[in-house]
Amino acid sequence: MPALTFNKVSKTFGDHTVINAFNADIHDGEFLVLLGPSGCGKSTLLRMIAGLSDITSGDLLFDGSVANDWEPKKRGVAFVFQTYALYPHMTVRENIAFPLVMDAFRKWYHLPIVNIVARHRLMKRADIAERTLGIARQLELEPLLDRRPASLSGGQRQRVALARALVRNPDLYLLDEPLSNLDAKLRTQMRSEISALHHKVGKTFVYVTHDQVEAMTMATRIIVMNKGIVQQVDTPDEIYDHPANTFVARFVGSPPMNLIPASVGNDALQLSGKLAVDHAAPLPSRRHMTFGVRPEKLTLHPAGEGRLPAQVAVVERLGAETVIGCRLMTGEENNDQRLLEHDLVFVRVSGNPKVRIGELCSLDYQAGDVLWFDIDSGDRIFPGQE
Amino acid sequence: MSASGLRSRSGLVKLLPYAFILPPMIYLMVFMFWPLSRQMYMSLTNTRIVNPNRGRFIGLGNYERLIEDPAFYVSLKATLVYTVLTVIIGVALGVVAALAIDRPFKGRAVARAILLFGWAVPGVAASLIWLWMYNERSGVFNRITELLGLGRFSWLTSTDYALGSVLAVTVWQVAPFVMLVVLAALQSVPQEVREAARIDGADGISTFRAVTLPHIRPSIQLAALLVAVWSIRRFDIIYLLTGGGPLGSTSTLVVKLRQTAFEGHELGMASAYGAVGLALALMVAAIHYTAEQRRMKRMSR
Amino acid sequence: MMTPRKLAVKALRYTLIGILVVLAGFPVYWMAATALNVNSQLYGTGQVAWPQLQHLPDLVTELGNVPIGRWLFNTLLIASGGTVLSLTLGALAGYALSRFKFHGRGLVGFLLFMTQVVPEALILVPLYAMFITFGLLNSLWGLILANVGFSLPVACFVLKGAMDAVPYEIEESAIIDNCPRFSVLTMIILPLIMPSIAAAAVVSFFAGWNEFLFASTFLMDRTLWPASVGLASFVGQYETPMSAVLGAALVFSTPAIVFFLLIQRKIVAGLTAGAVKG
Repeated sequence: MPALTFNKVSKTFGDHTVINAFNADIHDGEFLVLLGPSGCGKSTLLRMIAGLSDITSGDLLFDGSVANDWEPKKRGVAFVFQTYALYPHMTVRENIAFPLVMDAFRKWYHLPIVNIVARHRLMKRADIAERTLGIARQLELEPLLDRRPASLSGGQRQRVALARALVRNPDLYLLDEPLSNLDAKLRTQMRSEISALHHKVGKTFVYVTHDQVEAMTMATRIIVMNKGIVQQVDTPDEIYDHPANTFVARFVGSPPMNLIPASVGNDALQLSGKLAVDHAAPLPSRRHMTFGVRPEKLTLHPAGEGRLPAQVAVVERLGAETVIGCRLMTGEENNDQRLLEHDLVFVRVSGNPKVRIGELCSLDYQAGDVLWFDIDSGDRIFPGQE
Repeated sequence: MSASGLRSRSGLVKLLPYAFILPPMIYLMVFMFWPLSRQMYMSLTNTRIVNPNRGRFIGLGNYERLIEDPAFYVSLKATLVYTVLTVIIGVALGVVAALAIDRPFKGRAVARAILLFGWAVPGVAASLIWLWMYNERSGVFNRITELLGLGRFSWLTSTDYALGSVLAVTVWQVAPFVMLVVLAALQSVPQEVREAARIDGADGISTFRAVTLPHIRPSIQLAALLVAVWSIRRFDIIYLLTGGGPLGSTSTLVVKLRQTAFEGHELGMASAYGAVGLALALMVAAIHYTAEQRRMKRMSR
Repeated sequence: MMTPRKLAVKALRYTLIGILVVLAGFPVYWMAATALNVNSQLYGTGQVAWPQLQHLPDLVTELGNVPIGRWLFNTLLIASGGTVLSLTLGALAGYALSRFKFHGRGLVGFLLFMTQVVPEALILVPLYAMFITFGLLNSLWGLILANVGFSLPVACFVLKGAMDAVPYEIEESAIIDNCPRFSVLTMIILPLIMPSIAAAAVVSFFAGWNEFLFASTFLMDRTLWPASVGLASFVGQYETPMSAVLGAALVFSTPAIVFFLLIQRKIVAGLTAGAVKG
């Protein structure tokens, strides 16, 4: 069973760099999620693991052996495509059995016409028929075995694609946005089914998605990518609590982390250039940076009680909790309290507080919950360790 | 992304496309391009049918003879006239037919099928029918002209009518093809655009000029190219209807080629005729491509 | 209510369609009418202008005197052999052009386009010399090999167009499932484009069915003649009754008409694709 190692792996098409060189490991038995917005290179990376796309430079190691040139079959992988890629002209049974039939093919079976006979006979071979049926039962596909993919619903096709991946009992499962074509309800259900499947088979899963909820709920570890650059490789908790940069901070979590431009002058913190705040903790030793805090780490108070005066702009009531979008104001106590110009600051509170849009309020935070980022590069900075 | 994703990984895989492309290419090389290049070479030799593999190199001798031979100019003229007229009449009739049956009416399917007959009938069969219709004594055309008091015509044996008669059969064959190509283009004219033009107050003719014509023009041009190239290549019906006569008035380069080769036994000379024919066909194709490129540029602007 | 102008336009349109239909349909109608006439009428008093079904037995008898069955059988062999060869080679070329980028791809496209421009007559003589050398003269095999050069590119363009529409992922899925490339083509791609294969087959089949120039040059033996050469031998020969000649022509034409009408759109797509993408 493979542990994968990426050793300065990169990918270019002509002059265009799709994936910048990076290092990473995927451990045996892990559920690794490749997370990023569309076009970030995550699918290409998955295809490189499968052997469908070549590696421009660097090495991809399967259990320590360089596998750059290995044929897909040598890698022992199963691939679940976003579009499922079922064979439209074959029944569900033939689809599921296809990998087994191919494994049982001798060289000369591939001759035209011979292949039709050979496939027909192998479909009937006891071990192949039983294995196919077993997998179909496991995924509740038995009644559909003689239907063709065109007559199945999206969820059923998804199961057939999974069954076809499972049937050969591979060591490595590669899944490319397998849930993106399903409706929201089915997606939640399939999410837990795939997680359960992972626990059951205990093999390595590499799962591509742009949906941070899928990533957070399913992954044992996440690789976050953006524009072909690996941003962070870590567990979901670490990625959420300690994002490596502003991209990760914003991409993971909903609503995203609040990022407010900040400056330090005379040992005092100023947010958005105007709002002076008594931070009561060590500040980074530089003039400009980004101040980040998760919405649930902010607290909502009546006007004047918190350190950050604000005005309510948006209220999203979700039942168990409420997300409130606020606009920060300058702290000066005069009549025209000007609203500071930047993105809304979100605060997440439990329950259903009585706030109205336009109402004045204030926010507060604990210094330990604040993350600092470089204003230009977006990279995380650590006060006192610079 | 996927296209290049399927591409090579190692040296062996790089050869994979060639495993697919080589058999057909080898085939074409052996049975098309090797003979073609031999033909081109043969035009520089004095090969005769009695010694097909042992011609002597005589440089441009055949072409010199060609230039001095009045028969060559007759043949060249016949080819050009035949090609140009086929394109003009065939394309015009094809476009008219396509426009006429574009919109649905009762019996459209039947009309459409009948309009395609000329295209679907094999060339040899077409020649036999028309030969009979052109028959001087008992053919239907002369019966009609006699009834009209015009007397009989030597449709295929008079230098006045032979080319026109051959042309009629050709048009009967190619106009339906043009019609199909144009119909396909017409059916892809977005209906909303046509309606929008209507609503903007355009009448039928200006709608046609502003919306329909620009949309189908590339198809018409493409059809014209194919019809032109086919006219240069066409052998069967000309050979069967007139055999190139009378007095060479219908002997296009291709007909002349075969006659020179298999009746005159001069393979070298025949090849020279062929080379001129090929040059004509390539010129037509080149004109088409230049026009196409220009159109593409204009569209991307 | 229609305005008088609209009515006039409509009348004009139907008249035009009527004229065109008559012009296009008359020769075929006349072929049928002549075939079902008694020969004495044809040259004598004048032929009856409509088909006379009561003469059908006479026609059958007359056709029995020409080896039309033999000729059609030869035509069938030539057309079928050419179809198998041109589909096989066309599928390989179409797959390579549809799925791979490789050095020489442009050259391949150009060569395929050239085949649509080169007059058949141009390679007639060299092929003749070549067939003498290899004993392929006066053989159906030689004729098939010569014909396929011209039908292969059309088959290739039709099949390539259909393959372009098959998603890559299905193919990649098969590769992951341990299916070699050649079998991806034969077991996955080709079954998915059956309608286009049928179209390419019809195009290739009737290219062979209709072919005349090569057949009349390469086949000397009367018993090897296909129907096109056999029918052409009636030209300028007056022993065979005209009703039998055109009856045979009708028998020869009917399959072509039926199949051309059935898949007209695909044929047009194939013929035009080559000229556009070449």
